[in-house]
Amino acid sequence: MPSDSDPRPSRLGPALRIAAILVLAAALLSFPSLAPNPYVLSASVVVLNYAVLATSWNFVGGFTGYVSLGHGALAGLGGYGTGLFIVKAGLPSFLSLVLAALLVAVIAVPIGMAALRVRGASFVIVSIALVLILLLVFQSWASFTGGSRGLVVPRPFELSRPEHHRVFYFLYAALLFVATLTWWLIDRSRFGLGLKAIREDEDKAEALGTPTFTYKLVVFVVSATFTALSGGLYALWFGDLDPVFQFSILTGSYLVLMALLGGVRNLFGPLVGALVVGIALEYFKVEFGNTPLHLVATGLLLALVVMFMPDGVLPALGSLIQRFRRGPQQGSIREMTAAELRDDRARQDATIGGTR
Amino acid sequence: MTASLETSDLRKAFGGVTALDGATVRFRHGQVNALIGPNGSGKTTYFNCVTGMIRPDSGTVTYRGKEVTKKAPHAIARAGIGRTFQLCRVFPRMSALDNVLAAVRPGGILGGLRGARRGAEIDRARGWLTRLGIEHLLHVEARNLSWGQQKLLELAGVLMGDPETVLLDEPAGGVNPALLDRIATLVRELNAEGRTFVIVEHNMDLVMSISDHIVVFDRGRPIAEGPPSTIRTDERVLGAYLGV
Repeated sequence: MPSDSDPRPSRLGPALRIAAILVLAAALLSFPSLAPNPYVLSASVVVLNYAVLATSWNFVGGFTGYVSLGHGALAGLGGYGTGLFIVKAGLPSFLSLVLAALLVAVIAVPIGMAALRVRGASFVIVSIALVLILLLVFQSWASFTGGSRGLVVPRPFELSRPEHHRVFYFLYAALLFVATLTWWLIDRSRFGLGLKAIREDEDKAEALGTPTFTYKLVVFVVSATFTALSGGLYALWFGDLDPVFQFSILTGSYLVLMALLGGVRNLFGPLVGALVVGIALEYFKVEFGNTPLHLVATGLLLALVVMFMPDGVLPALGSLIQRFRRGPQQGSIREMTAAELRDDRARQDATIGGTR
Repeated sequence: MTASLETSDLRKAFGGVTALDGATVRFRHGQVNALIGPNGSGKTTYFNCVTGMIRPDSGTVTYRGKEVTKKAPHAIARAGIGRTFQLCRVFPRMSALDNVLAAVRPGGILGGLRGARRGAEIDRARGWLTRLGIEHLLHVEARNLSWGQQKLLELAGVLMGDPETVLLDEPAGGVNPALLDRIATLVRELNAEGRTFVIVEHNMDLVMSISDHIVVFDRGRPIAEGPPSTIRTDERVLGAYLGV
């Protein structure tokens, strides 16, 4: 589904779009019953974790265009926060998850206030710094975090391993639904339009009266909250946290790749990207073991996407469908006839009418 | 005539280059004001300081009696000052409609969560696009518009914010005579409706034909001001432009 303000609305009818969403939802919900073995089910939990993280990343990256490589750290904070609330404070698992997410939301305010003052490459570097600083803190503060020995997080349910995977699959699916719904609501809102204006030209948006810093900060906190929830669920699911993996730049890089691959301006872009990249990562790990080959493949994939599908897979598919429907595409609006413009306008007026 | 926008001893230097050197200026409320001067005389820097895009080294900016010197650009925009840019700026990958709707300011958190495309606002956006003659491009991405169309779209976006004072930075730059005529007519109409204009422009025919009051800058400070008839023959102005 293209973003609400996508200037090239999909030619797919609303019914077809709803049908596609229903098929996607049905496939997601029925997958645990169809999974051939517990490994596939556990891999699907990993992929769903990526999907939630990439969708959460896309609140910042997709709306504002700020590329954060530090979201892995926010997930790590959510994971460790959840684990520490359980282990150190003795709180129930899911209360710990919620409290950790709220704590990360609070911590995200000063982080955002510092990081969002810079743009472009500077923001990327600051986000990397966040990961490295937190890695050092969580490795060094062994008396509290467990340091390099890691932190064992008690599991919330007494279930067999396949059932454990199944429950967490659905918990992740529910979180993905809420994150996607929130993204969709923001996309349609004035707040979302302001964020997209920031992505296009921040100074211009500011000159038009958009309080850009506040907008960026709010969406950063929303993004951090969902990222922390996903990280917290991971802690409850996996049960063992290691700072090297929790505070890794690779996690943030994967999220960027997933969102770019699927399409950052698209509601389901990060989900599609997570499916492709997540499955590819698992495949490479299974086929080639613990080698850096999966990193090479990931790098190649990123290069291919940037070169041939800079807007992502879904927008590229949308363009392809449009090309088939319209025949040869015009290179510029000046090549459209007045009649075509009128038809185009009437068609798209109907789209607007639906959102009034 | 009361002042709409005034600056006092405004100074700004970029490294060793002094862009504004004590600019004390009063632009008149309800009039079409022009700010002219040779290239590098500090006109755009002046606009940037007034609108908060860059912070002056010293001096004050006052709008309608209130000091706005240290306010953020969005706060200055909300105070009633809208602006266009010297190099036309639109949101390239957003439709013309969304470019204009982006100027709608949500009231508070709940306002921000309301739908971006509401009937009344779409009607108002359409109204501005129609008035500027580009209503037929409503759904076209801004990056696909011609330079002149982008200029009109930028202006439509500014006007959607309903500013009391509009700063236009070289509205005639790179536009054809027909479009220039349309812009001039619109400025006159909007001025008649009560909006104040401050226009930075090199096209002297346009400046002399639509301005009520002209301020001339040279080397970061005003050297002359008055009605077009006076400025046209002012020796300091001729000296600044011709280097004599």
